[in-house]
Amino acid sequence: MKRLLRICSLVIGLIILLSWAVYSEPKEDAVEKIRKRGYILWGSDAEGGAPYVFPSPKDPSRLIGFEVDLAEAIAHELGVQARQSQNAWDSLIPSLKRGDFDIAINGIEITPERKQEVLFSLPYYIYTEQLVVRKEETAIRGIDNLKGKKAGTLSGAVAQNILEGIGGVDVRIYSGQVEPYEDLAIGRIDAVLLDLPIAAYYAKPNPKLKYAGAPVGRGYYGIVIKKEDEELKKALDDILAKLLQTGELKRIYEKWDMWNETQEALFQDIKGSETHPGIEESRKAPLQTFFPMLIKGAGITIFISVASMALAVSLGLILTLLRLYSRPPFSSLATAYIELYRGTPLLIQLYILYYGLPNIGISLSPVAAAFLGLGMNYAAYEAEIYRAGIMSVPKGQMEAASSLGMTKTLALRRIILPQALRIATPGITNDFIALFKDSSLVSVIAMVELTKTYTILSASTLRFFELGLIVAVLYFAMSYPLSLLAGRLENKLKGTA
Amino acid sequence: MITVKRLHKYYKEHHLFKGIDLDVRKGEAVVLIGPSGSGKSTFLRCINGLEYFQEGEIDVDGIQLHSINRLHPGKEDLEIIRQIRLKAGMVFQQFNLFPHMTVLENIIESPVQVLRMEKHSATEQATAILKRINMQAKAQSFPHQLSGGEQQRAAIARALAMKPEAMLFDEPTSSLDPEMVGEVLSVIKDLVNEGMTTLIATHEMGFAREVADRVVVFDKGDILETGPPEKIFTNPSAERTRAFLSRILIP
Repeated sequence: MKRLLRICSLVIGLIILLSWAVYSEPKEDAVEKIRKRGYILWGSDAEGGAPYVFPSPKDPSRLIGFEVDLAEAIAHELGVQARQSQNAWDSLIPSLKRGDFDIAINGIEITPERKQEVLFSLPYYIYTEQLVVRKEETAIRGIDNLKGKKAGTLSGAVAQNILEGIGGVDVRIYSGQVEPYEDLAIGRIDAVLLDLPIAAYYAKPNPKLKYAGAPVGRGYYGIVIKKEDEELKKALDDILAKLLQTGELKRIYEKWDMWNETQEALFQDIKGSETHPGIEESRKAPLQTFFPMLIKGAGITIFISVASMALAVSLGLILTLLRLYSRPPFSSLATAYIELYRGTPLLIQLYILYYGLPNIGISLSPVAAAFLGLGMNYAAYEAEIYRAGIMSVPKGQMEAASSLGMTKTLALRRIILPQALRIATPGITNDFIALFKDSSLVSVIAMVELTKTYTILSASTLRFFELGLIVAVLYFAMSYPLSLLAGRLENKLKGTA
Repeated sequence: MITVKRLHKYYKEHHLFKGIDLDVRKGEAVVLIGPSGSGKSTFLRCINGLEYFQEGEIDVDGIQLHSINRLHPGKEDLEIIRQIRLKAGMVFQQFNLFPHMTVLENIIESPVQVLRMEKHSATEQATAILKRINMQAKAQSFPHQLSGGEQQRAAIARALAMKPEAMLFDEPTSSLDPEMVGEVLSVIKDLVNEGMTTLIATHEMGFAREVADRVVVFDKGDILETGPPEKIFTNPSAERTRAFLSRILIP
């Protein structure tokens, strides 16, 4: 039992360590804190894609985009470095509020609802909505012709409100900005209404698509800041004003082909001539340029899988022992734990751990939440495998051990568990393979592992097929050795049974 | 050495033992016979604490065991049972060797873990025991590599390594192929001849007749009669004993 206790305390120690790994100290001037730290952490979703924030086609481990340029310009003014923090777009604001990063810059529109939750800087871009149709389309010349047609847009975007406001339009909501244009090109929908920067990057270079009519609507992108960071907002507003006066902002927008007359309302004059890499270049980039990022993603997948599995096998053993051999309150608690974790989706457990717990004051880092979420979920399954193993040890074994004067604990440790573990090993190995693949679920809580790396890369390059094959091969290369191991263990057991 | 007084045992509604008594002297070999289900195995298991009983008392070499709450045995009760088990070794019908250990490891496990013997002296002792039962060649074998007879002899060696005052044999040859019964019985016989206090539940009547100081006849949880083997086998006093013997002894 001593060894068990040691494992137990090790696991708990690890949990505490990871839980506090990323934790922001409260109550300090945000600007001061950033300067002291030497970098500003800005949140965005690289999966959202070009031209906002996306992996460079030349070097996919580097992010580029007009918001990267903007963040760097701001950091430069603050006298610090800029560091991007990857986070799913839907949860940028909740994550900012939890303190995962200092600010969020990712095409976030300034709306009255959001203003109740967070602060916004001065607008840094005025965007309009551009309607895009197929090249051969003649009937749709503007949003007024959309009645009875199928039109795609992004969830939660201003364009969605515009489309729904027209009435009679079959509005299709997408979660990524690539897919609506893909569906439009192959005829699944008739038109796409999205922010002009998105249309400029994804639709304009596509020979099958064209703009229909002039941009409509008008909205403002603003930098999102935590409600309590008034100082930071002031500093950012000053910096934006300065970037505007010096023409720096305009240079950035011209580089990304986002400059238009609308922006005149924000800025005046000056022309630059930097060019930005277009989607054509991304499409042609040799595959090996993506390897370093994919390998890094695979490394994180391995790390998180191995760590969670270690938690699962040790916690699972503790759960089984409690369930089988402890007195009522503990045994029924262990049973409840197992049933609860097996009976609810892993995805929900991860969301609760990462986004739910901060509501009661517990803020886990993405790594800690992924480790705990996967590990605690799989512990329930491992517990059942152990239990099956223990149950399949003949009753006579415990009787023989007892008749030799062993206590129950000693008999468990020396006689029952070694036999049960041998029986359980193939099942545990199989679960390890399953966990390996389930680890892709942690991408929802801001972990950039292999699957997330894939979606980020393919969203900016549209190379879902080739990259998908490479990622599948990587997963297979990691899980197949485990399958072989499981098979060998099973054979070995058959030999000695 | 072993005294059982007014032992009552219930299986839910069924009243198996209705207050039975038995007294085994030091060095005595007592053989329990009777039809299957007559309670002789359960009787042995009660002595060893593998079955709990509701009334009565059992004394093994001065250690007294009373009835125990089966669902929530207290710590002290469990310790008493453990002390009794250290006094009385048990050999099972199914051998119950530990399959993940070699014969030698099986034998030294408890002396090392429970009696805190040094590993090398436990190994020396085990080797001596194995030599005595002519099994030294199998010390490094795993149970599944042994014949049934060898497994049961190893199990006896394992119980002896705890240096018990008495040995309880629960139908030690019932799951053996006929040609292996002899080698196991001869080991038990040697033990009896060396003066070990033994309680043996068995269906081997010839063996009972040969080694027993006393034969106890069980039927339906009752002790029908007790006596020296010559008397029980040639002139039993109880009618049911006669019926039982005539069924199994085909003269």
